[in-house]
Amino acid sequence: MSIIKDLLKEIVPKDIVIFGQENTRVFECDGLSAYKKKPLVVVLPENIEQIKQVLKICNLHNIPVITRGAGTGLSGGATPIEQSLVLGLSKFNKIKSVDVENRLAVVEPGVRNIVISETVKKYGLYYAPDPSSQIACTIGGNVAENSGGIHCLKYGLTIHNVEAIKIITIEGEEITFSRQDYGIGLLALLHGSEGLLGIIIEITVKLKPISQSSKLIMAGFNSVRDCANSVANIIKKGIIPAGLEMMDKFAIEAAENFAKVGYPLEANALLLCELDGDEQSVENEFKKTIEILSIASSIKVADEEKQISKLWKGRKSAFPAVGQISPDYYCMDGTIPRRYLADMLEQISKLSKKYNLAVANVFHAGDGNLHPLILYDANIAGELEKTEKFGMDILKLSVKFGGSITGEHGVGIEKLNAMCYQFTDKELDIFHKIKKVFDPKSLLNPGKAVPELHRCAELGAMHVNKGKLPHPEIERF
Amino acid sequence: MNDRITQLQKIVKESNSICINSEFLDYEGIVSYYPEELIITVKAGLIIKDMRKELNKNNQDLMFFVDDENISIGAAYANGGQDLSDSVLGVQIIDGNGNLLNFGGQVIKNVAGYDVSRLLVGSKGKLALITEISFKVLPNFYVEKLVKPLKQKASSKAHKVIEQKLKQVFDPKGIFK
Repeated sequence: MSIIKDLLKEIVPKDIVIFGQENTRVFECDGLSAYKKKPLVVVLPENIEQIKQVLKICNLHNIPVITRGAGTGLSGGATPIEQSLVLGLSKFNKIKSVDVENRLAVVEPGVRNIVISETVKKYGLYYAPDPSSQIACTIGGNVAENSGGIHCLKYGLTIHNVEAIKIITIEGEEITFSRQDYGIGLLALLHGSEGLLGIIIEITVKLKPISQSSKLIMAGFNSVRDCANSVANIIKKGIIPAGLEMMDKFAIEAAENFAKVGYPLEANALLLCELDGDEQSVENEFKKTIEILSIASSIKVADEEKQISKLWKGRKSAFPAVGQISPDYYCMDGTIPRRYLADMLEQISKLSKKYNLAVANVFHAGDGNLHPLILYDANIAGELEKTEKFGMDILKLSVKFGGSITGEHGVGIEKLNAMCYQFTDKELDIFHKIKKVFDPKSLLNPGKAVPELHRCAELGAMHVNKGKLPHPEIERF
Repeated sequence: MNDRITQLQKIVKESNSICINSEFLDYEGIVSYYPEELIITVKAGLIIKDMRKELNKNNQDLMFFVDDENISIGAAYANGGQDLSDSVLGVQIIDGNGNLLNFGGQVIKNVAGYDVSRLLVGSKGKLALITEISFKVLPNFYVEKLVKPLKQKASSKAHKVIEQKLKQVFDPKGIFK
């Protein structure tokens, strides 16, 4: 291929250019392993000049560029497409500077999320967003997906914790977007743009002081509905927990089996509620919360860092835990208004029976973000298709309840069809035109994130009227 | 369909030039407010003072610094500001072709499609007519220490070029002045 020849001619050292069936295999998918495709070539640049050279060559040959961080994404955002080049930014792993006084750090995109917090811990600071994959996922990928995590209820998503980013456009131009910019929200536009608008090469993140005090309450419930209602009651009381997570029986068992952290196996639902701040406010919130949680069947309180992270560990390892008990699982990411939590759970349970596929539910309950994990076996013919149909039913329900098909994992290739239900043709058309502004030849991660209009037409997808259920006041299900 | 919205769409479709001003302030009021969800959806003409009055009844408040309570929430959105942007969850707009479009939503986490609801913050009424906006709100206790945001930096040439092209996406005929 002439592009490989050109890359080898221009780029030094040559060993950062990877090609051939076997060598490219590790780049054939991201965390969504049901979809695989080998790229034509992979480049792992070590400096900005090399990125620019690669983009120039791709532009010349009209080769699509798939930017990749750690490949932990769950929606296929980094899955290669036919005849594409994967631009892996794993070597951009330096923290360039830390400004303790202004609580900012300038980092390269390949820095792993957790490394930021580990590095600035000595200053009493940390980086708040903590996706469950934080030990592996990169900050560049976090910006590209606008990642959340278990603490974003109180501390916000990636977008709320980024001060500025620098990108390289497909034409090789470097542009910085910052929170202080006059004009429209370009910094916000780049967040969650899934590698379709530019290559993120530098991020200035905001740091937060580590809380003086925190407490984690673990509450077991006999009834799932009681657990869901407690979530609403805590928020209604004016308390914003640092994290508010819910798990169903299946997820509790899987997580306990995997992490052995002491979750109550007899409970049908589990609530993990972390309160943080200064000692006085934690104490106040704790009193109120314990009162609300008096309907729980079991309560355990942890107030020192080690105990707290141990209890979180079960929740954070819920995905691999489920992976251990089932050959495959399919993770959904819909969000719904919190008031429909219990209804949604009942619906999922009905669908689970209908499709005869087990589901483990873990939720960022505080912000209405659900992660039902559908258990299946890809080796059984037709089971993946059935699973995807089940998943689509859950996403359609999310839209119907007035929510969204994805809260933090992104659309990628996985949720292209689901996008047809959430948006009208005219809205999708605006998205396509926005991409054209940044990438006129559509070379950056093409075909991802936004479905072509004909795809929706062929699917026969009727855009669901968001949240406009007739007579919403009537209790359903 | 809402009568006034249909009427506004008609106005946009039939005009060559629109300056979004107080004439549009009659599209005002609260569309929905769920205190336990920490989310409020309002029509753009709603005066901020009236919006806060409603929030305060539930011991909640806006998450951004308000300089002048007597302007509409739509005007504050059009003027921009990073803190305001941080609390935006969704918008309903009428684009330059008169199409009624929805972006974002009434949930706290949502990464489906580009973040148009925050992109249009600071658009000064030049990209689209904003009709409804959803915001995240917080209990009073958490918003006590709001300060006036720093003055924004002037746009670079690259930003201006992108803004100009994005205007053409939303308003291809250039009617919003």
